[in-house]
Amino acid sequence: MTTTTSDAPAPVARSGPEEAQDHRGLWVPTGAMIAARHKDLRKRRGLMIALAAVTVGIPAVYLAIRLILHAAAPHSYGPAGGYDQYTGLVVGVLYVFGFIVAATLGATTGSADLTEGMFRHHVITGRSRVALYLARIPAGLAIIVPLVAMGFTIVCLVCVFAAPTSLDYDGVHVPVQLSQPAFQHWAADHANEVVNELPFNIGPKDAFGNSPCLPGPGPRIGVPGQSPAATPCPPGQLRALAVFIAKQDYSDYARVFLYPSDSLMVKTGLWIELEALIGFMIGLGLSSLLGQRTIAVILMIILELIVTPIAARAKLPHMINLQRSVVGLATTHLEPGGLPAPFGGGPSDRLLFVRESTTVAVCVIVAWIVGWTVLGAWRMVTRDA
Amino acid sequence: MSITTLPDAVPRVPARSPWAVETHDLTKRFGENVAVDRVELKVPRGCAFGYLGPNGAGKTTLIRVLLGLTRADGGTMALLGHPVPKERARALARVGAIVDEPRFHGHLTGRENLEMLASSREQAAARRIGPSLDRVGLGLRADDRVAKYSMGMRQRLGVAACLLGDPELLILDEPMNGLDPAGMHDMREMIRSLVDEGRTVVLSSHLLDEVQRTCDAVAIVDRGTVVRQGAINDLLAGTTLVVQVECSDPERARGLVEQAGVEASVQLQPLGLEITLPAGTGRAVIAEISRVLVEHDIALYRLQPMQATLESWFLQVTSRLGES
Repeated sequence: MTTTTSDAPAPVARSGPEEAQDHRGLWVPTGAMIAARHKDLRKRRGLMIALAAVTVGIPAVYLAIRLILHAAAPHSYGPAGGYDQYTGLVVGVLYVFGFIVAATLGATTGSADLTEGMFRHHVITGRSRVALYLARIPAGLAIIVPLVAMGFTIVCLVCVFAAPTSLDYDGVHVPVQLSQPAFQHWAADHANEVVNELPFNIGPKDAFGNSPCLPGPGPRIGVPGQSPAATPCPPGQLRALAVFIAKQDYSDYARVFLYPSDSLMVKTGLWIELEALIGFMIGLGLSSLLGQRTIAVILMIILELIVTPIAARAKLPHMINLQRSVVGLATTHLEPGGLPAPFGGGPSDRLLFVRESTTVAVCVIVAWIVGWTVLGAWRMVTRDA
Repeated sequence: MSITTLPDAVPRVPARSPWAVETHDLTKRFGENVAVDRVELKVPRGCAFGYLGPNGAGKTTLIRVLLGLTRADGGTMALLGHPVPKERARALARVGAIVDEPRFHGHLTGRENLEMLASSREQAAARRIGPSLDRVGLGLRADDRVAKYSMGMRQRLGVAACLLGDPELLILDEPMNGLDPAGMHDMREMIRSLVDEGRTVVLSSHLLDEVQRTCDAVAIVDRGTVVRQGAINDLLAGTTLVVQVECSDPERARGLVEQAGVEASVQLQPLGLEITLPAGTGRAVIAEISRVLVEHDIALYRLQPMQATLESWFLQVTSRLGES
């Protein structure tokens, strides 16, 4: 049924130069949209405190306690910094929890408008829904990337500047911060002290197993302070044995008496930022798809703490390609050398992981980021507001 | 709420269509349920238009379809002359709307919420935030967190959000909800002031008295279908006229009126009569009734034609629908 109210009044309409320039139907977000979204996230006090507590607070507090303890009782508590602390904090805390907090931020970014009733207001402006979605990406990354960087910087600073400065091993003064060749060179110059004071593990069938330079006739596991060898030892053989022992001891030496190199720190920083970026993007897409945060965050935690470690270590013959498609496994393959394996274990434990090439790992990561972005944006475009 | 002019208002120039909202055969289904059933609606520009209907009639669904919050299953629609969804962005650039209860980010202040919404609009929208807040009477509370706002304040903030785009068309879903009587009065005045500026305001409401006071025209929707629409005065002119008579000897007065040859239905009341005259009855008939009673020595204490209300008309229309 159609009944018109009355004669239609003289139409009034507005159009102006600004409207002509207002490309709100385009999918590209404006700087103002990104800034506004960033402000919305930044003002979520509880979320920001939680993010800062995990990414900055945990390493900062842990290192602060170590600094205090070392300052108070240096003989009981080792230095706060050093390579070992660095790898432990980066792989054990920043990598795993950085992913989870980034995912939480992404999930909040993706669902807050919906759950708080603001999505409708934005849609009514006529702005492209894709642009509304895309504006969330730089806004969220502008929070999580600096936070992770801040936590990582604290770790780097403490691990470098509070690394051990000297090693006095049963009267042997070993210089710190030596590269492996430098350490071996130093060992050659101090062969007698090295052979007699530093630990080693040489069996009868190993090189130098029957060397007359080895201390004592019986044991082949070096014990510092052991009596010098009874048989005269040619200087050349002694130097070679010292170099061999230095090579054997270097990993232990490096773990404690070395701080991370600049190149390792740069690579590690980029690696954990990549992990945070992945966590944020997946969290954003997943929560946009689901329309809520809680389940998205739970699924992300399950992915990081349960699915990824299993997929990395359990080699299931018929599911090996499926395992390779897990994004967490792909990022472990991009881990810089010299770090221990994620989810527990030393550097050599990475050899036990399901293998995949770097190209495949990069493709898997790109696929996850692009895939979840497309899914999230698609749901945002098709969702009833 | 004060009446202030929003900055950066651009000159008005004629658009293509005289209608602010125009729908043809518009349909929206949720499974088997037809929420909007082939709606034909034409809202003229520059008026306050009420969209009335009982709960579940499909009022909010129609608004959601118009604004692109959900997709239509059939039919065509246009806002401000722009076909939707084809030119949706262009149409919505000059539309402000509140749908359902207005909700905002509770951790942000009213001003910050508007900043967020302004960022999705043109650049000039940011400059309208202050005036919009002043206009809805939230200027002094603009920097309080929305979590501390009352329902009425959030309703006002919703209207302020509508004003950011300097809209030609405002669509307000139950704007009086949560407002106290003073707030309703202010809202009514503001709606009228917006109309006086040449804007069109479409509001859905179940508060018929408020709609009658605020709107120039209405449409009644029932079970998804628009069953009546028109200017309020025109619609009410088509209703019966009730005349209340307070007099001596009501029994005899009733007989006199019935014998006077007036087409009327007469009901006996404790203090007099209630005479129902058909639609379109002129004032001469009322004068004739008065003359007959006085000539026959009936003492007339009060003779009052009762103004037909939107509520009574609404009930007549909906009761007829129920009968049919």
